Amino acid sequence: MVHALDEIRRTLKPKGVLIDLRPVEENWSVEVSSSVGYQAAGRLNDMPIGLADDEAAFEALREAESRRWFVKEKEEEFAFFYYWDTPSEMKEFMEDEWEDFEKLEESVYQKTKSIWASANADAQVRVRVKMLITLWKEL
Amino acid sequence: MGKPQKDPEGFERKILHQLVDFTNAHVLEVGCGEGRLTFKYAASAKQVIAFDPDHDSLRIARTDLPYDLQKHVHFAGASAKDIPFSKETFDIAILAWSL
Repeated sequence: MVHALDEIRRTLKPKGVLIDLRPVEENWSVEVSSSVGYQAAGRLNDMPIGLADDEAAFEALREAESRRWFVKEKEEEFAFFYYWDTPSEMKEFMEDEWEDFEKLEESVYQKTKSIWASANADAQVRVRVKMLITLWKEL
Repeated sequence: MGKPQKDPEGFERKILHQLVDFTNAHVLEVGCGEGRLTFKYAASAKQVIAFDPDHDSLRIARTDLPYDLQKHVHFAGASAKDIPFSKETFDIAILAWSL
């Protein structure tokens, strides 16, 4: 990762800008959302691989900062939502795509199904992903 | 398996444009995947080079590339370990869910 940051720095013009945009693990919230609002059903469990990936990314950026390649100008967090029409679609997606990073416990899945079943007809299930966006300036 | 709908509220696009002015910029995007993020800022930029090592994703990105962006957006198979461009080429680099 540090080498990749060095490569990016090489191709940036002086005073160029680097944007680091990525999700970060934080036991993302599972929610049922409809036109009248939303209700939380529980949280996902972060898996060790995802946590290790986050730590490696932060460490690479700390290294780039210590070598005075970039200086942090601004950082913000925001929510990024994934929506599914049904709880089973969400579960299937997680098992196929997120199995190394997030675990949906059976109790959270059952609660999601229960809330969704009694919610408005337009209800969807969603996961609230914590996003981090950081603006770095080349030194 | 049905694909989830991602960020229908457009929070990602909004915050990206709040942080950076893409007007007339030469942009390098690392880890563009299927171009989901690329299409959110490319119209403002002068040139976009977006790359990813996954050729299946790049095929989708090229297929979905709107006609009005085709002249200044280019998708390429590459990795950040060896960026095939000379030094001091880009104004903005984006690590798109890829660090």
